[in-house]
Amino acid sequence: MRSTTFIFALLITASLFIYSGCGNGNSTGGAMSHSSAAEKVYVAPGEYDQYYEFFSGGFSGQVTVHGLPSGRLLKTIPVFSVDGEKGYGFNEETKPMLMTTYGFVPWDDSHHPKLSQTEGVHDGNFLFINANNTPRIARIDLTTFETTEIIEIPNSGGSHASPYPTQNTEYLVAATRFSVPIPQKDVPIDSYKENFKGTFTFISGGQEPGEMDIAFQILAPGYDYDLAHCGKGVSHGWTFFTSYNVEQANTLKEKNASQYDKDYIAAVNWKKAEEYIAQGKFKEWPSEYYHNYYSDKTHTGTSTKMKGVKVLIPSECPGLVYYLPTPKSPHGVDVSPTGEYIVGNGKLSADLTVHSFEKMLAAIEAKKFDDEIDGIPVLNYDAVHVGTVEMGGLGPLHTEFDGRGHGYTSFFISSEVVKWSLETFEVVDRIPAYYSIGHLSIPGGGSMKPWENGKYLIAMNKITKDRYLPTGPELAHSAQLYDISGDKMELLLDFPTMGEPHYAQGILASKIMDKQVKFFRLEENEHKYKALTEADTKVVRKGKEVHIYGTMIRSHFAPDNIEGIKVGDKVFWHITNLEQDWDVPHGLAVMGANNAELLIMPGQTETLVWEPKAEGVYPFYCTDFCSALHQEMQGYIRVSAENANTKMKWRLGDEAFGE
Amino acid sequence: MRSLPKILFILGSVLLLGTFLSPIWRITLEAPQYPKGITMYIWINKLGGDEPGTLQNINILNHYVGMKMIEPESIPELKYFPKVIIGMALLGVIFGLINNKKLWITWGIIMIILGILGIYDFYLWEYDYGHNLSDEAAIKVPGQAYQPPLFGSKMLLNFNAISYPYYGSIFIGLSLILSFVASFLKGKQDIN
Amino acid sequence: MKSKGAIFLAIVVVAFMSACGGGSGDKEKKGKFAPPPKAKPMTYEEAQADWKNQKGRGPITKVELGELDAEMAKKGEDIYVLKCTACHAPDKEKLGPAPTGIFERRTPEWIMNMILNPEEMAMKDPIGRGLLMKYNTVMANQGLTEDDARAVLEYFRTL
Repeated sequence: MRSTTFIFALLITASLFIYSGCGNGNSTGGAMSHSSAAEKVYVAPGEYDQYYEFFSGGFSGQVTVHGLPSGRLLKTIPVFSVDGEKGYGFNEETKPMLMTTYGFVPWDDSHHPKLSQTEGVHDGNFLFINANNTPRIARIDLTTFETTEIIEIPNSGGSHASPYPTQNTEYLVAATRFSVPIPQKDVPIDSYKENFKGTFTFISGGQEPGEMDIAFQILAPGYDYDLAHCGKGVSHGWTFFTSYNVEQANTLKEKNASQYDKDYIAAVNWKKAEEYIAQGKFKEWPSEYYHNYYSDKTHTGTSTKMKGVKVLIPSECPGLVYYLPTPKSPHGVDVSPTGEYIVGNGKLSADLTVHSFEKMLAAIEAKKFDDEIDGIPVLNYDAVHVGTVEMGGLGPLHTEFDGRGHGYTSFFISSEVVKWSLETFEVVDRIPAYYSIGHLSIPGGGSMKPWENGKYLIAMNKITKDRYLPTGPELAHSAQLYDISGDKMELLLDFPTMGEPHYAQGILASKIMDKQVKFFRLEENEHKYKALTEADTKVVRKGKEVHIYGTMIRSHFAPDNIEGIKVGDKVFWHITNLEQDWDVPHGLAVMGANNAELLIMPGQTETLVWEPKAEGVYPFYCTDFCSALHQEMQGYIRVSAENANTKMKWRLGDEAFGE
Repeated sequence: MRSLPKILFILGSVLLLGTFLSPIWRITLEAPQYPKGITMYIWINKLGGDEPGTLQNINILNHYVGMKMIEPESIPELKYFPKVIIGMALLGVIFGLINNKKLWITWGIIMIILGILGIYDFYLWEYDYGHNLSDEAAIKVPGQAYQPPLFGSKMLLNFNAISYPYYGSIFIGLSLILSFVASFLKGKQDIN
Repeated sequence: MKSKGAIFLAIVVVAFMSACGGGSGDKEKKGKFAPPPKAKPMTYEEAQADWKNQKGRGPITKVELGELDAEMAKKGEDIYVLKCTACHAPDKEKLGPAPTGIFERRTPEWIMNMILNPEEMAMKDPIGRGLLMKYNTVMANQGLTEDDARAVLEYFRTL
């Protein structure tokens, strides 16, 4: 009897132990309690986040700006796709931004946001991002958070390895993801090996608004060029591009481009390229491309068709390009903060390959070449390889760095972040990502100076599944925030993102926030159709074109009654927002317009084209709630028959004008 | 030092010109959606704000309740106050050179009267802006006037209006004090 | 009487343990990183040599193969054509291996688990992992039901 009681007690104790063991398992698994994670990401109402984090919008074509650590969405910046919300690509001022040699392109796939650099450190001047589909690079001005410049990249088929600036943003780079006949021509697709080529492109003017241009291109073998990073510190002057499809397959690439054990990282000596350009050792090709620039003085974008690029051929320019053999279709190529290590993330492998820049220079010096392809020496693998991070996981894609001697690599297939030592190349920590992480970002982690030596890491996950409330077949992609300041990485937060972020870059808020433009000064407005006071407002007919020079201020349009428009007219509605205070945009929407609204910032002028198709009186109104009398901010425009003799008249209150 | 009172008096007169260096009055409007407030500065010869658009922003707000536009061009005081100040400074220098205590005291008294008149005039403007409202105002609150206080703070609908003299006024004060100190010292010298 | 109580409690304890074990999937979801097992996992070659005992990981633990059911095999072929042929041809390697002759290297249970649970098979099953390394990709989960997978298995018997 006693013994049974004893067994009872033992069993109860055991069950409690097991139960509590189970609970402990959970909390050590998360490595922290929910409340402490919540504290780390809580930004109280009215307080600011510590970082800006710029996410690529992926197939939305845009950029989103989030705050860290809260993950809050601060803004969506339209870049490569039209955006009805802001009228981007719909109003006359921004349409030129989307012009290309293929005409007006209203959509693209934005990939890699990269901040401008000075001395290898993010300076907070500009953000650049590439369009993958119709190859382009855009500049976003970080005083206005507007897209102010877009340059098209000729002789390229899909631009993925871009924009990746050099240490002082001397150049932005690009490479063709899809090799194509260069220059383009009509050939059988099966003649890939014979006719298809790749290019590396260097774009100058990164630190000079309005001055972006194609400095030179380098013709390369017809592989798929995937990603890039520029050297820094010791390796300043070089740029590294990964390639895959060294097999040169042109069909069923998922199998046929994955056959060889090794592909190549191309090391480009761009200082050497500058010498060859200076010596005139280039070919001048008549390639055409567009350069689009938006001015905050004229508030207008201008498209310029450019012609002619300088092309360097590696076989004619010794020392320009070398190949570093790298296992299993490397995806990302990342350069450690000092510039010494070049990390190849072989996406079909379990291991990370690390090359040494110093060894590479020595191998070049000693001519340790195994092969030569189209005049490009292939360096001996053992002569450049310095270490392998073994069994890091499955499917490594990208690596960033903290300031404490660690690399952090995303593993897509095994869905985890692996932290490893830059000294021993040994794995020191690993943590799961939910699910299937692509890129990762440590603010400053791609530069020479990770902010705060690396405090946060953001995982951009390709698969969302059950992380949020379900929303039908399509789910927002999911980002995850980790605290990496301690020895163990800790998962803090999930937050949804727009499109598919193919990378993000963060910067300390203090580097940007104090230089924000709050409104545009009216006296500096140089728009061709501005009206700076209500006395300047007018309606002018030029044949079938009618130009309305209007204004808006809380809470009325001037003029707000317009008559004399006829069916078949093309009405250019130029409106200047006369406000001179922060955060008072006004919108313009007119019934039946076939484009979008205007959303006009204080001091800015924008133009909506409206082509009325039927007689009647059409209301128009302000779309952005601006004051207690916002609902009253509206007007009427009268449309008469094509042959009517309605006089042109316009008025605001007692002030009436007309022909 | 026999010439000390004279130097002090002349210095005091010249200090009046300091009113051109800094605003003499400041009115701040505070409300939750204006975290930094909207501040208008009143100079001897102009109106200004903490930002170039401040006056326009105040006018936009004021028009909802039917207040008149504040237009510096329509305020004649901004044109003749500078002349008065320059005139008084000149007069002070002349009186100083004449070195006569009675003239100095007279100058001081004129300054005090002018100061009181100036503040009264400011009050009248405030009263006019605050009470003389358009019948067509979008927002009409029966019995509500929008006159900002002369000194101190006062709630005007959702705004807290705060009004105080600004650095420019210190020059006027200093100028007055110096004129009386000079007269006092001069009086002592004359007795001796 | 008391001993019955002891048995009851023992059951409770087992229930706790299994709840704990059953929660492991849930734990992983919440951020638990399971350290790699101490024992060296079986290699692909070892598992292949032992294929007759390899049943894989997933819902299928036992499959009885009886007389060939032609109707079920036809249904299986239809499913295969619709959901599998983008990557598999019946008798030659495409993006993945061909099912012809599959019963000479895989058990029926393994085959059905691979169809029904490809993600876990690629990560944790020694043969599945070997195939991932060979073919460089995790087989797509095409959302077949167990009945569908059984029908596809029946179709494979006709090849």
